[in-house]
Amino acid sequence: MQQLDNQEILMKLKSSKQFWDIKKKIKQGFNEQQKIGVNDIQKFAQSCEVEDQLIKLISHILKKSKKRETIKEDQIEFLNTSKVKWTELLFKNLDIVHQKTKNQEEDDTNTDSKLYIYDEKNLLAFLQTLKQQQSSSLYQNVQFQSNKLLNINIPLKSSQSILDKYQYLLLQEELQDEKINKIRKQIENEHLDIELEKIAQNFVPNGERCLLYLKYFEFDHQETVIQQNFAKLQKECLIQLFYDELLEIDGHEISEDTFYFVFQEQILTCLKCFIRDKTIKENIRIQFQNGLKKENTEFQLPVTGFFPFKNISKYVAPLCYLSTKIHIIYALFKEFFCRYFCFLHSISSESNSILSLCMQIEEIVSTRSPKLFHHLKVIGCDTLKLIIHQLVYCFIGDMDPPHILSIYDQIIGHDSLEILVILCVGFLNKYKPKLLLAKNGENIQQIFSELREDKFQELVQFAYKQ
Amino acid sequence: MSEYFRKYIKKEHYANHYTNLKFKTSFRNCILEAFKRRLWKETDGDDWDIMWAEKEWIHEVMDHTHLQPNQKINHFRNHYELTRKDLMIKNLKRYKKNLEREGKQEDANNYNFYPLTFHLPSEYPIFFEEFKRQSQNGDTKTAWIMKPIGKSQGKGIFIFNKIQQISQWKNTLRYNQDNPQAEAYIVQKYLADPLLIGGKKFDMRIYLLCTSYQPLTLYLYRTGFARFTHHRYDNEDITNTYVHLTNVAIQKTSDNYDEKLGGKWNLQTLKLYLMAKYGQEKVAETFYNIQMLMIRSLQAVQKIIINDKHCFELYGFDILLDAQLKPWLLEVNASPSMTSNTPIDFELKCGLLDDVFTIIDLEKVLTGNEEQIGGFDLICKGAPIKLPINSTFTTYLGAFNNRQQQLKKIAKSTAIRLAQTYQETQTKAIEIGSKGQKEKEEKDKQMRSSSKGPQAMQNGVNGSNKPNNLSKQNTIMKRNTTNLPALGAVQNKSNIKRQPLQNAGQQQQQLQQSQSNSSKKNNPNEDSMLSANQKLQKLTQESKINQFQPYKQQSQYNDVMGMGSRNLQKNEE
Repeated sequence: MQQLDNQEILMKLKSSKQFWDIKKKIKQGFNEQQKIGVNDIQKFAQSCEVEDQLIKLISHILKKSKKRETIKEDQIEFLNTSKVKWTELLFKNLDIVHQKTKNQEEDDTNTDSKLYIYDEKNLLAFLQTLKQQQSSSLYQNVQFQSNKLLNINIPLKSSQSILDKYQYLLLQEELQDEKINKIRKQIENEHLDIELEKIAQNFVPNGERCLLYLKYFEFDHQETVIQQNFAKLQKECLIQLFYDELLEIDGHEISEDTFYFVFQEQILTCLKCFIRDKTIKENIRIQFQNGLKKENTEFQLPVTGFFPFKNISKYVAPLCYLSTKIHIIYALFKEFFCRYFCFLHSISSESNSILSLCMQIEEIVSTRSPKLFHHLKVIGCDTLKLIIHQLVYCFIGDMDPPHILSIYDQIIGHDSLEILVILCVGFLNKYKPKLLLAKNGENIQQIFSELREDKFQELVQFAYKQ
Repeated sequence: MSEYFRKYIKKEHYANHYTNLKFKTSFRNCILEAFKRRLWKETDGDDWDIMWAEKEWIHEVMDHTHLQPNQKINHFRNHYELTRKDLMIKNLKRYKKNLEREGKQEDANNYNFYPLTFHLPSEYPIFFEEFKRQSQNGDTKTAWIMKPIGKSQGKGIFIFNKIQQISQWKNTLRYNQDNPQAEAYIVQKYLADPLLIGGKKFDMRIYLLCTSYQPLTLYLYRTGFARFTHHRYDNEDITNTYVHLTNVAIQKTSDNYDEKLGGKWNLQTLKLYLMAKYGQEKVAETFYNIQMLMIRSLQAVQKIIINDKHCFELYGFDILLDAQLKPWLLEVNASPSMTSNTPIDFELKCGLLDDVFTIIDLEKVLTGNEEQIGGFDLICKGAPIKLPINSTFTTYLGAFNNRQQQLKKIAKSTAIRLAQTYQETQTKAIEIGSKGQKEKEEKDKQMRSSSKGPQAMQNGVNGSNKPNNLSKQNTIMKRNTTNLPALGAVQNKSNIKRQPLQNAGQQQQQLQQSQSNSSKKNNPNEDSMLSANQKLQKLTQESKINQFQPYKQQSQYNDVMGMGSRNLQKNEE
């Protein structure tokens, strides 16, 4: 961890607007006095909360100077070995994909557009295998939970605490124009993480979201740097990689979505730059595939340290609604991925990981809607299998972009992916009456193939419906 | 949709039943389909009630044809004053000058929505001066766009930024200098900073229906398109038409044309995008400006277009947004394409045309005061229509298109109104009939002749028609009302059975009774009136329920997207 000296702290202080506001306030306080002592300033600062603000500001600067280390090893050793196995499996898949593309080149008529290294179903299937290994070796007491798909003993937050945390969303009311304008000003002036998080938790006015995100990620004064970095990466894209082809295939899927087809080209450019970005490895919060090097093949993990997967384009798409500048879209995507979405693909015991989120959902559904949980189990279509797509891809493609951005707000607001648990539970509750009538997997497919419209607020409401 | 009208309005209540209506058209696309869906009959002869003609027909045939009072046609005689590129600009310029002359500077300033334009060859010298001036200002990158007058679908359009690039065109012109039919062009300053979405240029196609120029009556359709180019926009490369021209006809020929989505967004999606990016106020302002731009364009030609009650016109406005979200008028089409390239497109256009036909109202069922019909909102009737102050909207353009619900509602209320008026006219007929009968009786007495005159016979027939109808309504009432005692209903039934046998005099007695409210239960007329009122109440309640929004936050989203309809506001009021 890097320590800042006093001089550096002062420099950073001076770059924040709040510091100058505080200074102005103190100056105004001693307007007419000519001699001012340190004691006077201290007294004054204490009396009108200036001191608190200053402490907050300094602690924020110190916190920011700390660089988050990438989580490489999990506390639970068993998961570490699983991660290696998972990566090995993906290397095998890569070989298959490679073989398929070769065949395609030879035979033009056989165009299989569904080429990918893994998708959410593969991931869930792998997570499922973890159960068997564990029950036989490490833990004896898992039998009582056997109706669940995932039975791994990892530390979990109580589901009630998650429900309590987001309950405030139920009471959100429409805001008056005045209030919205106030929030706008706040976003413009505020630089503190905590304050920005508070705004994101409650309400982000349309049109201000991009600024809020940029500020939160501390990009607001770095546009030229971002632009330059992006230009560099774009140049690198001139050298073709095997993965480019996979990304292009992936892009076709997004091109079928009414909301995003316009951005297909931008999304592809972003992703091509992404798999070439060397800074990702050090910025990503969790390493989700083990950088196993395979000898004697031209294929290795991309410099990011993980394989591009099916529908990776989906994570970029909603961000295209925030800015017309591609380098801004890229910077936001990179940050969102490195901070949050990486957890959706990581085999880990972290509270944000796909494993934890899945287990939370199972826990809530099995306790609050046991009938539905049991019914789905009986007809051979487990709860998790139903919602894994929505969970892994943050409902992108299932909701209109404004609703997706509301999810993004909540992710930033709580620095956590737990909102997805609430939404998945809400999603299941919404379709509960239909699901209970379903007799087999086909019926269920039919339910979800019908034209449907899910909304953020609606799913939150359903999540708390008993 | 017209199905709702067919479903709710009884055959005898139509002033002009749809099975009697005939259409004529040479189009074989959505237009034909929309006509057929209304169950109108196609004709080749001159006995049509509505004709969807090509523009050429108007120019060649209309002036020599005498139209019947009921006949409707889809173009105004001199629509080209607005829809030909050069004339449109000429008229806009002229109107602006007139406003300035009248001292209405503020109004004149609003006419700033078309790019700098010159007519070629007539204005070539002025254009050349302007071109030189721009080049001298170091503005070498200013591009100009040449469009042949009277061609559509992007044919013959090219962009240039060096005067040499039009030398070829000039030469052919010189060659034809004495030829009065030398092809005319307009040259426009090319808008170099259009708003790009996903790096692509787009323009909007918006539909406006004009049913009359005196008073100027305009309906704006909520749904339109944003049409994207398939290639990234590049200001440097002006030779690639795929980059610059958004016409579907041009984009279709591009290699990577996506058949499924057709390179289009509907206005709702565009609005959603703009709102996420620029915020609600800015987008509301932009869409309001677009609406005003359209009204102003039509106001500019209002006095020039020959108004004709036979004519209506569906205009397709092409509008471009620049990077500051300012709308620019590119063109007005008199025959916007009614060919569809995707199933969604097909349904949208059929719906649009169906609503046009509903507004034209050949069946004569509407009052003409409806503020919304299907996806169309009345935006101008003599003067632009202002929305209520408490409305969250400045315009319904790009708002949620609730045409199905709206048509259902309007069909229901129209059915009730028609039933009432039908009944009133019938009642009057009976009154007049029985008065006539009494007079006749008296005369007959005086003449000492029998009372079974021919007129009485006729009245008797009229009278028997009426109770039949009443009995029908009575049964409807029975289904709808619960607060009437069962006995009353039984009594009514016996009355109904007897009625056809009773003579007109007795009926009048009953009517008088009903007017004085003396025998509520016994009087079928009163009951059927009651049932109509109750039906109306019930229907309004139903429509309230239909529009009930269970979620607070959702309603906010809906407000923004215009999901809450104008009708909801009305009900709340």
